[in-house]
Amino acid sequence: MQIAMIDIAARKDAASPTVRLDAVFAALADPTRRAIIERLSRSDARVTDIAEPFPMSLNAVSKHIRVLEASGVVERRRQGRDHILSINPSSLDEIDGWIEGMRRFWEQRLDAMERLLHEIKTDHKSGPKDRKHGSR
Amino acid sequence: MDRDDATGPIVQLRRRLSAGAEQIFDLWTKPDLMVRWLSPFPGAVDCKASCDLRPGGAFSLVMTSADSSREVSGTYVQIDRPRKLVFTWIGPLTNHVTTLVTVELIPIGDQTEIVLTHERLPTPAMHEGHTKGWGHILDHLADAVSNDT
Repeated sequence: MQIAMIDIAARKDAASPTVRLDAVFAALADPTRRAIIERLSRSDARVTDIAEPFPMSLNAVSKHIRVLEASGVVERRRQGRDHILSINPSSLDEIDGWIEGMRRFWEQRLDAMERLLHEIKTDHKSGPKDRKHGSR
Repeated sequence: MDRDDATGPIVQLRRRLSAGAEQIFDLWTKPDLMVRWLSPFPGAVDCKASCDLRPGGAFSLVMTSADSSREVSGTYVQIDRPRKLVFTWIGPLTNHVTTLVTVELIPIGDQTEIVLTHERLPTPAMHEGHTKGWGHILDHLADAVSNDT
């Protein structure tokens, strides 16, 4: 599996929130990586524990873990001989914030669309000749 | 995450509307109707819309109030009246990053269900790594853009 590591790694250092957010979205764009995050959201875990349930080599899983680290979503610390992985919650907060903002925007727009549909229907009933140009 | 498998985080809304799919499609694609609901600013805002409704064609919404002006623009990717409309969307809300909006209209009796999906387009890094799920969208987009030139 070909993963554009260098590009993603370069993004991690960039200060711009937009670029950082791009890296997080890129990291989350893969089902294996989302499964890893889902696992880590329950508890911190060793790299080998994370790799176990996946039907792929440890090496392949390690590549996914490195993409997650590069994006800042996952952090790694040493504990004796073990490498322990954990989630960096603030990286996911940014995603939540983005999604929440979009959702609010579209909820409000669809509300406005419903009001307009209602307005058009009411206009229609009152007769097209009264309101040739809509209802302003 | 609202939808799994092929893509990452997306925003998806579903709503039943008491109107026909064709009427709703027109609200999205006729400038004189677009200006009546797409502007998020309350009060005295002058909203101007223009659109070139064909794949690769551009649209823009310019919203001007007494002290500020904002612009949203994008390019049509797929137009299938009255079932489906796909377009890119760039504006202050997206931090001027290209995003993709898909509007699907499903008739249910005399109502219509609208399914609105808003997602970030993959970055070059994403595109190289994992095209699955995005591939066909990007192909559409590439076609649309090349038709334009």
